[in-house]
Amino acid sequence: MDTIISPIALYLICVLGAIGLALALPRRNKIFEITGGLLLAGSIGLAVLVLGLSATESGQPLPNFFFYPFAILALGASARMITHPRPVYSALYFILTIIASCGMYLLLSAEFMAFALVIIYAGAILITYLFVIMLATQAPSSASEQLIDETDAVAREPILACVIGFVLLAILTTAMFRGIGDLPQPTTAQQQLAQDSVLINLPRKVDRILDRAGVLQDHERVVRNDDGTAALDIANRTITIENTDLGTIRTVGPDQWPDKLIAGNLDRLGYNLMNDHPMTIEIAGIILLMAMLGAVVLARKHIELEDDLKAAQAKKLGESMNPTVEAGKA
Amino acid sequence: MEITLAQMAFPEALPAITMAHYLFVSAAMFVMGLIGFLTRKNMIVMFLCTELMFQGAGLALIAFGRHHLAADGQTFVIFVLCVAAAEAAMALALVVLLFRHKETLSAQAWKELHG
Repeated sequence: MDTIISPIALYLICVLGAIGLALALPRRNKIFEITGGLLLAGSIGLAVLVLGLSATESGQPLPNFFFYPFAILALGASARMITHPRPVYSALYFILTIIASCGMYLLLSAEFMAFALVIIYAGAILITYLFVIMLATQAPSSASEQLIDETDAVAREPILACVIGFVLLAILTTAMFRGIGDLPQPTTAQQQLAQDSVLINLPRKVDRILDRAGVLQDHERVVRNDDGTAALDIANRTITIENTDLGTIRTVGPDQWPDKLIAGNLDRLGYNLMNDHPMTIEIAGIILLMAMLGAVVLARKHIELEDDLKAAQAKKLGESMNPTVEAGKA
Repeated sequence: MEITLAQMAFPEALPAITMAHYLFVSAAMFVMGLIGFLTRKNMIVMFLCTELMFQGAGLALIAFGRHHLAADGQTFVIFVLCVAAAEAAMALALVVLLFRHKETLSAQAWKELHG
């Protein structure tokens, strides 16, 4: 039960951050905002510094250098997002936060999610937000000098909210920094073995990689077991290959195992998604469908029509849809 | 300085202190979203802050998935994205509906709604 950074430093950082953010939230007096922003930036920098110092103290490697610009960009942009009085700027700062966290996803070797996040979040969801903000924000009338809406100019209960938020942050980080040293560390070799066994279930991919690497000759392919899996021995790195014309079988040793024959991020993610969580995909689909229906129902405009107008409309529809009835009557 | 892309090679296990860095950023992002949700009065910005909280949770999921060298963390972020998209659709429809009633985005305009 060894904590990573000393609790005193942690709580000092949290108090500093709380004061900074409480001052930086939108209010009438702009001087406080600048002071608060500086305090908040200082507390973020202090936190990163203390974490880095504790890393060098314990002899563990520091995170990748690119972590620091991405982390500072993400936290700074999210702070600016909640303190900026104009909603459009808030949305743009949120896009910056997302792009910075995509950088961190890349550092954590989650490439697919990084790019999916840029496309879905920054590309789709945030643009929808921007549309609604622009639709719902009235243009400032020239008569009133006030450019920013009263709603956005002053925060509601900034001190109380900051106290609640940073107490939560202190509790969260204390718990995490205490427990994180005790997490079981998986050995890379074991995990690689387990993950590469995904390849056994992808015989056609194995065929393609072997073909490109020049291991396969004409009319050759990897032997399929009875259950459709590829005959790969992941632990010993041997591949069993059959000739489909002659019916001969040969085994290729680890020296001919191509470097590219690994289960990449996308293979593992896709296999995990389809093999371990198939029902969840269905549920996610239903949630999205219901959200779409709900949005249509909620945002629909009710138009009240007079009774005679309704009758006229109905008659017109009947005429256009069924002209023979009209002709028969005549 | 080297970045390991999991598409090309199997990544090394993540040291605990590096995990702590990422988890600190994710917790700070979550808390900022929470504070923003509590303090801002503009309904659209309030919903943007919930998206910030989703982001914080997503970063923690990815970091833990990387620590255990398993793909489940990334799979869960896909579902978080789904929920965020559904939430954005519903929330924006709701905001448009409420804006039509009162002609303002302020959440204070609806303060007579007590639970």
